[in-house]
Amino acid sequence: MSGHIHWASEVRDDWPAVLAELTRAFQVSRQAAQGKESFVYVVRQDDLLGRSGSGNAIMACGLLSAARTAALEGARQGWTANVVAYDQESNRSAVEEWARRLLEAGDVNGELIRVGSGHIGKTLA
Amino acid sequence: MNGTIVVTGAARGIGRAIAEKMESTGPLTVIGVDVAPELALSESITPVQIDLTSADGPSVVREAVEASGAPLVGLVNNAGITRDSRLVNMADDDFAAVLEVNLGAAFRLSTELAPLMSDGGSVVNIASRAYLGNFGQFNYSMSKGGVVGMTRAMALSLAPHVRVNAVAPGLISSEMSMAIPEEIRGQMVESIPLDRMGTPDEIANTVWWLLTPLSSYITGEVIVVGGGRSLT
Repeated sequence: MSGHIHWASEVRDDWPAVLAELTRAFQVSRQAAQGKESFVYVVRQDDLLGRSGSGNAIMACGLLSAARTAALEGARQGWTANVVAYDQESNRSAVEEWARRLLEAGDVNGELIRVGSGHIGKTLA
Repeated sequence: MNGTIVVTGAARGIGRAIAEKMESTGPLTVIGVDVAPELALSESITPVQIDLTSADGPSVVREAVEASGAPLVGLVNNAGITRDSRLVNMADDDFAAVLEVNLGAAFRLSTELAPLMSDGGSVVNIASRAYLGNFGQFNYSMSKGGVVGMTRAMALSLAPHVRVNAVAPGLISSEMSMAIPEEIRGQMVESIPLDRMGTPDEIANTVWWLLTPLSSYITGEVIVVGGGRSLT
């Protein structure tokens, strides 16, 4: 498997802390892109809905949007960017397995895969 | 509507159109915030010239709201910049600048002003259609996705007293879009079903609607105003 899996960290509702985590994700992503390697962000479904504070919501939704943009750029260079979201009942190995599949697939790009069923009936991200 | 409304990035483009729309529609005190020194707005708009990314930026705006003597009924987080490049070439400074202005300023100002918002108040955050992805805009897209996330979290934390929504403009005729090379801008317009760029007034109309009680049962939503571009 070639590529990077980046788990979104939990952050406080504090701008410097949020910016530090977004910057870390940016630097990891840029390094992957420069090496023409795919990457996957892993976020919590609750955070995509804003259910755990502004800081965590900014992280999750910001990474999803960044992945969509990176996917457009990677499509021209042979690498992909995707997102996996998990809910409270998801087990970590299942989440990691989906992230690995996305890294290996190559033909799935800019996609959000949600592990678990907590997203059903909620807003589309 | 009675009270005070704060609009950031009010010196030009979409922000200016929003401030002028609000000023013209009722007995409101409109506070227009911008870093630009040429903050030449209508005389009835109260100008506050401040860099919202500075340490005291949000508190200066708070003082202006308190000095207005009217309850804070609306906040429009509009200020934004672009520093485009492909991810592989993106400089740390360009990443940080866009995140600080587009997202950090909105986050910090919202945190500062939320306690002042009156019951029935409304916050509108200006996102962008780029939150769905846009080539060469990793930083901008991330910042606007962050604005969407912040909108959802604020909608939950400020309910039921204050509504919070986002507007995501597509290609709008403004200083920002005029910086796009003409050939590329032309290609972008060709992909818009309504076959033209939007105008700042069309964004202002949507923001106005979200600020008024006409949208009283809407919170936590993102309204894309992009001429159908998200379908093509």
